Amino acid sequence: MAVDKAADQILRMEHITKQFGSVYANRNITFDVRAGEVHTLLGENGAGKSTLMNVLFGLYQPTAGDIYVRGQKVKIESPAQAVKLGIGMVHQHFMLVEAMTVFENIILGDTRSAGIFIDRNARRKEILELSQKYGLDVDLDLPVTELAVGAQQRVEILKALYRGCDVLVLDEPTAALTDVEVEGLFEIMNKLRSEGKSIIFISHKMREVLRVSDRITILRAGETVVTVDIGELTGEDLATMMIGRQLVRSQYTKAESKEEIVAVLDHVSYHKNSKHNGLNDVSVNIRRGEIVGIAGVDGNGQSQLAMLLTGNIAPDEGSMELKNSKVAVFDPNAFIQENVAHIPEDRNKSGLVGNMSVADNLVLKITKDKRFSDGNGFHLKKKAIRSYALEMKEKYDIRCSSVDQEARNLSGGNQQKVILARELEAAPDLLIAVHPTRGLDIGATRFIHDTVIAQRDIGAGVLLISADFDEILEVSDRILVMFEGKIMGEYSGKNPPIDEISLAMAGK
Amino acid sequence: MGTFLANLILAGVRMASPLIFLSLAELYSQRAGLVNIGIEGIAAIGSLTGFLVSLITGSPLLGVLAGAAAGILVNMIFAYATVTLCAEQIVYGMAINIFAPALAAFIYRVYFGSGSELVQAGLMGTFKNMLGIKSNHFLVNLFLDQTPMVYLAFILVIVTAVYFTRTKSGLNYKAVGEYPKAAATLGINVIGIKYLSCVICGALAGIGGAYLTTCYSRTYVDGNIAGRGFIALAAVIFGRWNPGGVLIACLFFGFCDALQIRLQLINNTLPYQFFQMIPYVATIVVLAIIGAKKAGPKSSGQPYRKEER
Amino acid sequence: MKRKDFGALIIVPVLSIIISFLIGCIIIAALGASPAEALRYLWKGAFGNIRNLGTTFSRSTPLIFTTLCACFAYRCGVFNLGGEGQFLIGSILACYIATKSPLTGVPAMLLCALAGAAGGGLWAAAAGLLKIWRGQNEMIITIMLNYVATLLMGVVYTNWLRDGSVPQTIAVPDETKLPSFLGLRATIAFPVAILVGIAVFYFLFSTSGGFQLRAVGLNMTAAKVNGFNVKRYIMMSFIVSGAIAGLGGALELLGTQLRLINGFGAGYGFDGVAMALIASLHPIAGIVVAIFFAALRVGSTTMQTATGVPTSVSDIIQALVIVFTVAGMAMVKLPEFKNRFLRKAGMEG
Repeated sequence: MAVDKAADQILRMEHITKQFGSVYANRNITFDVRAGEVHTLLGENGAGKSTLMNVLFGLYQPTAGDIYVRGQKVKIESPAQAVKLGIGMVHQHFMLVEAMTVFENIILGDTRSAGIFIDRNARRKEILELSQKYGLDVDLDLPVTELAVGAQQRVEILKALYRGCDVLVLDEPTAALTDVEVEGLFEIMNKLRSEGKSIIFISHKMREVLRVSDRITILRAGETVVTVDIGELTGEDLATMMIGRQLVRSQYTKAESKEEIVAVLDHVSYHKNSKHNGLNDVSVNIRRGEIVGIAGVDGNGQSQLAMLLTGNIAPDEGSMELKNSKVAVFDPNAFIQENVAHIPEDRNKSGLVGNMSVADNLVLKITKDKRFSDGNGFHLKKKAIRSYALEMKEKYDIRCSSVDQEARNLSGGNQQKVILARELEAAPDLLIAVHPTRGLDIGATRFIHDTVIAQRDIGAGVLLISADFDEILEVSDRILVMFEGKIMGEYSGKNPPIDEISLAMAGK
Repeated sequence: MGTFLANLILAGVRMASPLIFLSLAELYSQRAGLVNIGIEGIAAIGSLTGFLVSLITGSPLLGVLAGAAAGILVNMIFAYATVTLCAEQIVYGMAINIFAPALAAFIYRVYFGSGSELVQAGLMGTFKNMLGIKSNHFLVNLFLDQTPMVYLAFILVIVTAVYFTRTKSGLNYKAVGEYPKAAATLGINVIGIKYLSCVICGALAGIGGAYLTTCYSRTYVDGNIAGRGFIALAAVIFGRWNPGGVLIACLFFGFCDALQIRLQLINNTLPYQFFQMIPYVATIVVLAIIGAKKAGPKSSGQPYRKEER
Repeated sequence: MKRKDFGALIIVPVLSIIISFLIGCIIIAALGASPAEALRYLWKGAFGNIRNLGTTFSRSTPLIFTTLCACFAYRCGVFNLGGEGQFLIGSILACYIATKSPLTGVPAMLLCALAGAAGGGLWAAAAGLLKIWRGQNEMIITIMLNYVATLLMGVVYTNWLRDGSVPQTIAVPDETKLPSFLGLRATIAFPVAILVGIAVFYFLFSTSGGFQLRAVGLNMTAAKVNGFNVKRYIMMSFIVSGAIAGLGGALELLGTQLRLINGFGAGYGFDGVAMALIASLHPIAGIVVAIFFAALRVGSTTMQTATGVPTSVSDIIQALVIVFTVAGMAMVKLPEFKNRFLRKAGMEG
């Protein structure tokens, strides 16, 4: 436990425990922040970083534990109170109201001035002063939807500063940024620090953490592991502390497929002029027995690429070939009939029918199959469905209390395994996997990677889309980089040129 | 100006007024993220309460106030169920639509007994009568031969427009309907505003109902709201969730209503029911034409839970 | 997990009914009558003898149809609030065929039923088309179509098929009246309604089509991504639910009402929605709920005659049941409630 260095300690969270039902998200965490430091919270997905910060910000009430701000014990029951105490937070998913302008977003909830009406001129002046002081330039009159991610983040920081925060929480601020934008953010962070503000920086990227932190607190499975000064730590030290064992970089054998091409996109465009939601002259081919990884920051057309390859949208220009015949109709069912499997981007929204049982979700696409119904779907064989589900539960290690349990009540990893079982059981010719491990813990991630690789080895062509660069590097046999709807370059998965790929991801 | 047209415009403005109250009720509700399809039912209870209180006290104005109070009370059930218990808003709106008219009918039966003769209450006077003006000029009739409620309706539209675009509170209110989680992180009391919206919505819907029995018709009959609560829903969509647009939509539907009454009077070949269909058919046609561009508050219809993982 | 949910689906409505009856008793007492006495007559009126039981079945028949209409549509995520309009269109077509066509007897009945179902289905299809092609909100459209259908029926009974000076249509000829069911006051429309309920149940839960339709209703995006023809299912749910209501309208006319008249079918659509919700969209439970509501209505008439308690008390009780049930269903789904309740009961996990 860190010793009280009372004078410069601005914030202290003591023995914080937060339970959701029977699950401990935080357990007995103690953590403090000094004035003018960047204090990093480091941990895997699900280690409890965000929960802890939501407790600090008054969004969750701790089950047990105390919070001290400037030495005073406080009870933070709402964000409003947190703001009053000088705590500001930039959430991982931005809290911006899309229907409003930057200006409106910043002054929302403002209580500093009396009066009913909005004094636009006075407020503008204050905001502009702030933005100049910290180098946070944004156009106040634009609707926030027209801003790039980096600019939206600056709006969020401005929002917090405008409310007079001394402690700024940045929850995974670099996740959606390009390298160039990350540099900009670090500059802003340095400026804030030099002005005496404290920053709680949440991340799981070790390179960044080592660059900007003064101190680091490592969380694992909801508990504090240790708080350390940055000193001479290395990435390996951190990784060991974070995961609790030596990080074994699994070296999957990279394949160099010479097998037949299973899918071809030929100069395809879709909503060409949309930088974030379109495709611009994309040509890709996928062979059997290889994993083609699409690297890139989220929102550069990857979603559209996946939707196109699964028949959910039709291209405006260009053509597609599937197993050597030109695709005439873009319809998900037609693609499914061609044995294209799909692990969709959002498992809850488009992968599973959450209110149906695990068993129902496993046979979602195949209820007309002779194994599961008589008379082409006229009578479902419920017993057969159930025993098939039990078999899948074993085979894919789906942890659920019963196959009759509603799929929405499963953990993310197990939900993903249900989808995996459904999609891979038919031994697909082409597999489109989109962010397949997003939000999952290391065990589930590993299982999914193993399963996908195994699928490759029995001859499926795989397209893997991921915003997690490490994941792309780890499993791809070929790497394509997407930026603003275009393919920026192609690289081999064996010894990929990391710096070059990083630049390509930023459009350089 | 022809008498037909003049009468049409006069009647149109009058018919638009209850719609304006009901549409603003829906607008305030949806701006806070609550789709309330129960305003038809709330209007029914407001209508009955307005009628009874006006009959008992002899004051239509008190009737309107009582209608507002009754509307608030009933809508608090909706508020508790949808905001606190997170019940599905559409489903609960339907429940209100069944409950509130049944309650109104019940109170009416208990109060008057079954099979009693028609009881009539007084109507609210117009400014023209109050001021004792005799002129029958079109403009005099348009601007002065109106009950205070008509003015109130139009003033409320302006107040609402100013509230949502110029005031701090209005901005916060809209944020609740757009992105309640973000609003909460900015210290806005999301639950509070949602309840407030139900108070406003209940009051306005109650007033809209009471209008029909204090300013339009002298008595209460079951089903007198006649789908106006649902047309108000359409008016909010048609008006693109803006007070100005909603006003235009209400005037349009009000004129359709006035038109059908006028046409009934001058025609005697077609069955009158065909004219009565006009407002309903117009609603369908308008909705079909404008299509479904998503323009409403983003969180509309979704429950807001404080601690959600 | 499943058993627990199932329990809530039964317990919540039953508790709601009990609370609603308690409130009803308070109202009855406040009106100066004896609640016990009133409830006794309510029961007697609904189930007291074979004759009353037949009346209850007869009254429940149209409600069963509109309840099934709502169940079917909502299972696909379609908020068809137009059960009443579809019901009326069915009855209008049946009225024409029964009174104007040369057919009588069984062929006329069959044709009426067929036309009623087709008419109701088409009337609902109009709303379905607007939803699919224009993305319009089906709730408002179907409600507007209810008013149009009601007015259209008005034209029929005040003009086109008017019976002399009275504003009602001429009556269905005796030969085309539906035969009685087992000599009860209910006609064979009652078993038909139950058969339709069983068919809906079978379709929804034992066929691939019903499975897919439910998936569309629960998660449209996932259904689409998984290759289901979402538009087709939505259109189908409009048409089939409309056809069920239309069939109900036709049979109600041929079996019970025999004429179109002011107030025919009024409120049946929304009643059906309410009952479907109380039954958690389960068709068989929907039948039970519809019979229960019909019993309340039939019994309340006896209650009124015997004790002077107005029938609208039973309307209040019915309305309270829906208000409490829907709120209760939401409450048991709240995580706070689940945590507290389950921990107490020691059933966690």
